[in-house]
Amino acid sequence: MAITTEELAGGITRVVLDGRLDIENSPAVDSQMKVIADGRTSVLVDMSKVSFLGSMGLRALVGPALVIRGRGGKMVLFGPNELVSKVLKISGIDNMIPVHQELTSAMAALQ
Amino acid sequence: MTECEPGWPEAHSHGTWLSLANRLSEIRRLPVWIGELASRHSIPTEIEFAINVCLEEAVSNVIRHGYREGERGEVIVHFTQPKANFFEFTVEDEARHFNPLDSPAPDTQGPPRVGGQGVHFLRHFAAQLEYSVKPRGNRLRMMFCGENSGT
Repeated sequence: MAITTEELAGGITRVVLDGRLDIENSPAVDSQMKVIADGRTSVLVDMSKVSFLGSMGLRALVGPALVIRGRGGKMVLFGPNELVSKVLKISGIDNMIPVHQELTSAMAALQ
Repeated sequence: MTECEPGWPEAHSHGTWLSLANRLSEIRRLPVWIGELASRHSIPTEIEFAINVCLEEAVSNVIRHGYREGERGEVIVHFTQPKANFFEFTVEDEARHFNPLDSPAPDTQGPPRVGGQGVHFLRHFAAQLEYSVKPRGNRLRMMFCGENSGT
């Protein structure tokens, strides 16, 4: 899975995940996400290129979200496809990490 | 997606299978195999996704919790298509007896938890589940059903 970051206006960091967020990739993504989360308070995770999310992959999202929230910041998810959205909903993680389908609303939620 | 009928339609072919060593690194072979089956048997994308979720969960459960540390073993995943739009997978191992379906449903009223989601996912994404013990090991049957809505 490829991870790239981009700094957006308003101090928002956009993290683009590309590939499968499965048991194989989850530990590496978890580590990289925690590094990215360190010191940042507004993180937008672009899930539009995530083709698969399993229960192990959820860890790579929840851990960094808790780190950011613990510092008073916020993390949101943007653009998961229908199937990935289903996993987020079934797990209840969407109650912990807000999910947005529009970039503008995702960015607004971080302001 | 079509509604699954209750019961387990009898398979009229032997199907195919994948043998994995009890190492987590072996799980990377699953999506490749599932993808090949999906192409060959016209498995709808939504069902292919559900199969991936459930097999990752079931196989990793066996490897992480079934076999003891240092114990060598294998996990065999069988596939059959008993009839059109029905896709059956069976995960068999020779690990200690453990029924993953005995796990309690997660508390949906409390705060979301990352752990304990696996069995919840199995129950949600598979149309039918059936666990049985073998003289040595476990067998978990999973049925998925659905048809392509497009072409």
